[in-house]
This record gives sequence, C-alpha cells and structure tokens, in this order.
Amino acid sequence: MTVAAGIGYALLALGPSLALFVTVISKKPFLILTVLSSTLLWLVSLIVLSGFWRPFLPLNSAASWPFAVLIITSVAFQEGLRLLFWKVYKRLEDMLDAFADRVSKPRLYPTDKMLIALAGGLGHGAAHAVFFCLSVLTPAFGPATFFTDQCSQIPFFLVSSIIALAFATIHTFSMVIAFNGYSEGNKVDQLFVPVVHLVAGMVTLINFTTGGCSIGIPILYIIAILTLLHCGKMVWGKLTENQIRL
Amino acid sequence: MESSILESIGVEIIGVMSPVSICMLLVVLIVYSLCPATDSAPPIRSAANLVYLEVPTDSTVQKLEGALLNALVFVIIIAVVTFLLVLLYYYNWTGFLKNYMRFSAFFVLVLAPAGPLKLLVELSQSRDEELPALIYEARPTVLANSRHQGRSLELLFGAASQSGSVEMQPVSGNHIGTREGGEQNVHPEVIVSESTNPGNLEGLLRQGDEVERSPLVGGGLGGRSSSSSVGSEYSVVVGSRDAPEIVADEERSPLVESRRRGSGNESAERGMDDDGSESELASSGIKLGLGDFIFYSVLVGRAAMYDLMTVYACYLAIISGLGCTLILLSVCRQALPALPISIALGVVFYFLTRLLMEPFVVGTATNLLMF
Repeated sequence: MTVAAGIGYALLALGPSLALFVTVISKKPFLILTVLSSTLLWLVSLIVLSGFWRPFLPLNSAASWPFAVLIITSVAFQEGLRLLFWKVYKRLEDMLDAFADRVSKPRLYPTDKMLIALAGGLGHGAAHAVFFCLSVLTPAFGPATFFTDQCSQIPFFLVSSIIALAFATIHTFSMVIAFNGYSEGNKVDQLFVPVVHLVAGMVTLINFTTGGCSIGIPILYIIAILTLLHCGKMVWGKLTENQIRL
Repeated sequence: MESSILESIGVEIIGVMSPVSICMLLVVLIVYSLCPATDSAPPIRSAANLVYLEVPTDSTVQKLEGALLNALVFVIIIAVVTFLLVLLYYYNWTGFLKNYMRFSAFFVLVLAPAGPLKLLVELSQSRDEELPALIYEARPTVLANSRHQGRSLELLFGAASQSGSVEMQPVSGNHIGTREGGEQNVHPEVIVSESTNPGNLEGLLRQGDEVERSPLVGGGLGGRSSSSSVGSEYSVVVGSRDAPEIVADEERSPLVESRRRGSGNESAERGMDDDGSESELASSGIKLGLGDFIFYSVLVGRAAMYDLMTVYACYLAIISGLGCTLILLSVCRQALPALPISIALGVVFYFLTRLLMEPFVVGTATNLLMF
C-alpha cells in the first residue's frame, strides 16, 4: 500500500529473526558466518529444486496433487541437505576444537554448539522468508494492495508474511532439535524434524481451497509453537543436565 | 567460565564483510529509488561499449560477439592506463596522480605475469612504501599482553590442512610469557589507508602508523603482497607485523612455520621499520582494494534492476566468494585477487536465479504454497 505497509509486512515476516540476530548472533562473528553459509545452502537447494522442476512448470493450478509431489520432493531434498549440513558441522567442530587446543582455550561448550545450530536454523528461516515472502512483496510498496480469491478477507501480502513468520520459526528451531538429535542419536528428535517440515508443507496445500487459509494458518502456527516447545524442553534438559554434571 | 573461542573466531572476515554488505545495501537502495522505470534514453557511449552498442534487434550471436569485443577493448585500455601509472611511479611523479585517482574510476589488472600491477607492487615493496592507491583495511586491535587474535584464521586452517590429528603441541616458553594476564579485547578497527602523504590531513593519524581516515572515494588497487609469484590482481593481502610472535609460533606447527618462512622475514622487517619495537597494536589486518567494493556493488546493483530475489542471490554469492577468497588467503599467505571467485559466482547465481528459480518460487508463493 505504501512504503510503511511494505516495511511492515517485511518486519512481520522477519522481525523475530532480526531480533534474534541482533541480540544473539551479531555478538559472535562466527555465528554470522554460520548464518550466511546456511542461507547459501538453502539458496542452493532452492536452485537445484527449481532446476529439477523447471520442465514441469507452470503447474496446472486446478489439480493440487502435482503440488503435493512438489512439496514432498522439496522437503525430502532439504532434509537430506540438513543431514549434509550436520556432517560438515561435525568436521568444523573438530577443527574448532583443535584450534582451541592450539590456543589453549577451552573447547566448545554445549551452549556454543546449540548457538551454532541456532544460527544455522536462523539462516534457513531468513532465507525462506526472503525468497518466499520478500521477493513477492515489492508491489506492496506501491499505492495499492492485492487480494487473492482463495483468501479474500486479508491482503495477500499479509497472509504471505504470516506464513513466512511461522515457517521461519519452524526452520530456526528445528535445526537446533535436529543437531541435538543427530549428535545424541536420539531417534525421536531425528524423526521429529522432517515430519514437522513435511506436515507444515502439506498444510499449506489447504490454502488452495477457498477459505482454506483460515484453517491452514492456525494449524501452521500450532506446528510452530509445538516446535518451539519441543526445542525449549530439549534445551532446558540439556542445560540442567550439564549443570548437574558441573 | 573462560570465554570460549566462539567469541573471537572470524573477526577479520566479518570486519571485511560488513562494509562490503553496507556498501551493497546502499547501492541497492539507490538503484531502487533512482530507476523505477525502464531507461528510454539512448545508451551513452562510454569506455565499456566503445566498439559495440547493443541494439535490441541484433541476434544473440551478434550481441555476444559485440560484448566480447567490448570487453577486450576495455581491458586493453585499462592495461595501458595502468602501465602509465607504473611509469609515473617509477619516476616519482605520482604526486598529482593521487588527487586524480580520487576521482578516477578504478584500475583493473592484466592477467600476465609481467603485468603492470605486479611491477607496481614490486617497486613499492623495494622502496618500502605504500602503494599509491586507496585500499580498505580491517585490522583487529589487541592489547599488548595478548597478541593472538590476528592469525587465528591461519592457525585454524593450518590445523585443518594437517592430517586432522588433534594433538597438544608443546608451547614455547616465551610465548606463554607474552600471554599472561590474558584478557583479549578485539575491536576490529576499520580504517581506510591511503598512500603516505603528510599534506593530507583530512582525518586522524594513528600512532605509529601511516594511515589516515579518509572518505571512501574513488577507486584503487590492492594492497601489498608478500610474494610476487601471482601475477594477477593483488587486491587482498594479509600483512603481519607482530614479529616476535612469529618466531615463537614457528615451533608450534611445522605447516604454519614453513608457510611463514617465505613471508616472515619481509613482514618482520616491515614490522620493525614501521613501529620500532614491539607494537602495542598487534595488527595482521586484511586489506581489500576499493575497486573490489565497486565491482561487487555494481553487480548487485545490476541485479537490483531486475528483482529482489536476484539481489539476495547475488549478495550471497559474492559474500561466499569473498569468504572463500579470505580462507584461501589465510592458507596461501599470498596476495590474491578478490574478484574472480566472487564475480564468477555472482554471475552464475544471477542467471540461475533469474532463469530457474524465479518461475518456481513465484509460482508457489503466489499460490501460498510454501515449504
């Protein structure tokens, strides 16, 4: 609608991520580098996926099952990349520990490891918000707004920002859960993350039906809150167990 | 609890990347505010399109040939100008040139081993002066009793390039001595260093250094090199001035030592000359030529003329290219060109995003389908 509205939508999608960045991540340069590299990884995954799907586009938007296949393949690929990201992180952790020994400093604390995981997740979430929400937000800086048929009560940009916020939250915290699950071999956590991602992706399919977004978005937010709670519980458990050990 | 290593790793990289990012952001904002509509004026003839002016009716092959011809002519022009600069520097006539260069565009290098910039750098090294150029330097300042910050990057990747074994290596005695009391405060100092010119008092003069703060105006070429075997653009270099520490650290890991031996003497001498005795500000900063800033921003600005998605993709590509270059720099310990990796990645990502990713993402996002 105006520049103010455009900035408002952008902040709606990215505000909490920005707050997290400024308070936690910007203090430690290594975490900024982690954010950048995980954003790059997400971008590369999107490019590969779009390269794969390019011959099939534009999809016929009447039937929704091609979109379901699209989502399933995309989520599967991104979860595979998350595993790869974790393997690279393990190597990096060994390098960092070796470096810490060289300079006679303590090795990485568990909080450090969780911070790195958080930074990785934030990179993913921010990349999602930028590519799916901010890139279509450019018309919102102009004089008018836009409504879609499927979701006619609120402007399209607002819906898009709200969904992006939910997904950013999911991405950010599921990375922490995933890294913890991989490092401890916890099967529940390892399965939790891909399942949540897939369910969240499929829930957006509901947006195809008219009035679907009034069902889909609350479900999405329930999923996001669930991820948050699970992550909080896991982190709390880890912190208290370390304190008992110390 | 002692502070962990996460506090301090990567300071130099971020010290270089944040001004690059800020510069790109400014350029993107300017582009968005200045050209909302497509340009309808006829394209002006500049050095970049001396030979061939693009006309929409030409075929793709013609456009490609024309583009290559333009590029060739442009490189030749720049090479000639750079040789001219070398001649002037050789005869010590660069006084007026500094003022000219503040308003000139940039100096791009020729890729031959006998290229002009290599001669320039060697001449300046043999005279032990700064290059007559504008460069950007990010330098962490450390207190006197702990001087480990600057080379954490090399130690980190020196450790990695060994066979990965994690062993405690014996630390030499005097090194422990210099690190007692060890609170480390790292403040990445951002200074623009210009060639030594006592007449120029635009900014502050730092103690023991010949650097000044001056506005980021004009372009320039890169910093010093510690060895001269790379014949292309010398825009990123790691200079090291903490001479006493070099000796101590040579015992730590053989890989670091052998790399350092080639460059250690030179930097040690330079360190001694510049600061006399052990400096209070142990500095091993990273220098980036301002021409690199300009090229990065030009690429991102061009991407901004298309879409925000391409801006973000090109930004990430350039930043990751810069990161790769910096890592390569800490491994190779030589001056490296900062442009090739970043610009190559930037161009590749721009086209991939524009051709592949945009239909995909816009198609799903407008249907409110996200993952």
